[in-house]
Amino acid sequence: MDAVVKRLIREIKKEGDQDAFAELVDLYKDKVYQIAYRMTGNSYEAQDMAQEAFLRAYANLESYDESRKFSTWLFRITTNLCIDRLRKKKPDYSLDAEIQGTDGLTGYSQVAASETLPEDQVVTLEMQEWVQRAISGLPEKYRAAVVLRYIEDLSITEISDVLDLPENTVKTHIHRGREALRKRLGNA
Amino acid sequence: MKMACQKKYETLLHKYLDGETNQEERTELFHHLKTCEECARHYRELKKTMMLVQSSSHIDAPAGFTENVMKNLPEKKKRVSWKKWSRRHPFFVAASLFIILMASSLISVWNEQAGEEISVQGSRDVAIDEEAGTVIVPEGETVEGDLTVRNAKVEVKGEVSGDLTVINGEQYLASAGEVSGEIEEVDQVLEWVWYHTKRITKDVFTMGEETGEQE
Repeated sequence: MDAVVKRLIREIKKEGDQDAFAELVDLYKDKVYQIAYRMTGNSYEAQDMAQEAFLRAYANLESYDESRKFSTWLFRITTNLCIDRLRKKKPDYSLDAEIQGTDGLTGYSQVAASETLPEDQVVTLEMQEWVQRAISGLPEKYRAAVVLRYIEDLSITEISDVLDLPENTVKTHIHRGREALRKRLGNA
Repeated sequence: MKMACQKKYETLLHKYLDGETNQEERTELFHHLKTCEECARHYRELKKTMMLVQSSSHIDAPAGFTENVMKNLPEKKKRVSWKKWSRRHPFFVAASLFIILMASSLISVWNEQAGEEISVQGSRDVAIDEEAGTVIVPEGETVEGDLTVRNAKVEVKGEVSGDLTVINGEQYLASAGEVSGEIEEVDQVLEWVWYHTKRITKDVFTMGEETGEQE
């Protein structure tokens, strides 16, 4: 995988080869989209952010340092874009956070009530939405750390590279993120 | 007492969840969890929460995502394909480059010459009227060989035994006049370029023969 990525990047840098770039997008689109979706909490914005992340990566490929992991660089672009977007529309949701918390409770009681029903699919879907609402309720810096740790499965070191924060800060963000999530998801 | 317990073991709990505790710390933590109901509940809740988050299914990018990205890339493809194409057809590139250089140098020469003085090649036995812009082959005169006239009207009243070429002008053959060879009028840049290419080619070959003879 790494060798393939290196080759593709060389081709794009040398000749602006767009076919090579399309291959690169195919390799990373799911991870980038997933981060964008977990960060923004809706598929429309996720698509917008993920697409923008790839376009910026293409435009700034010259500044990518090949001795480092490509995914780290790409994820950094993605999380930065999402955090910027979230900060711009902040007014609507620091107020919503509390409501979302109580919303979470209702969501959970619905899930608990329907657990006896045979429609597993529906349960899973509601559960997903409930978890995503809890993630969306986190302040953006905790959210980024938690998403990268628990959904993308990155190590603390990698997360510290992606977010450009010291490892100890990343750990603190994850701890606080976990505690905030526990309050929404854990005590029902 | 309770607050202190929470703070200390909360930190340890998170350290444990990050996989960074040593054996000693783990023994201490689990021993405490057995005796402190509050911390044990805290631990259960955290574990459950993180399991929920991790189990939330992975979402894939929507169909057509890559195509959408590619559609929005800055225009660069044409240059790339031109580059590739030219690499595959080096001869064509060299040939067209040659033609472009040739044509542009000839055109610049043409522009320099346009509106310049009358020039006559091939014979001195002609009457040149600079003011009227005419070159006249007088009656009864015979120009031996080819005659080339630039930037003038040519009136042939006498005889030209070879070809007559008029560049950037026009020719008028009087009823009594006679041209044995071909009469050629060149006034379009392209024709002129063609004419020159022919001449240069001829010159090049002649020069080659001459050098060959000299050696």
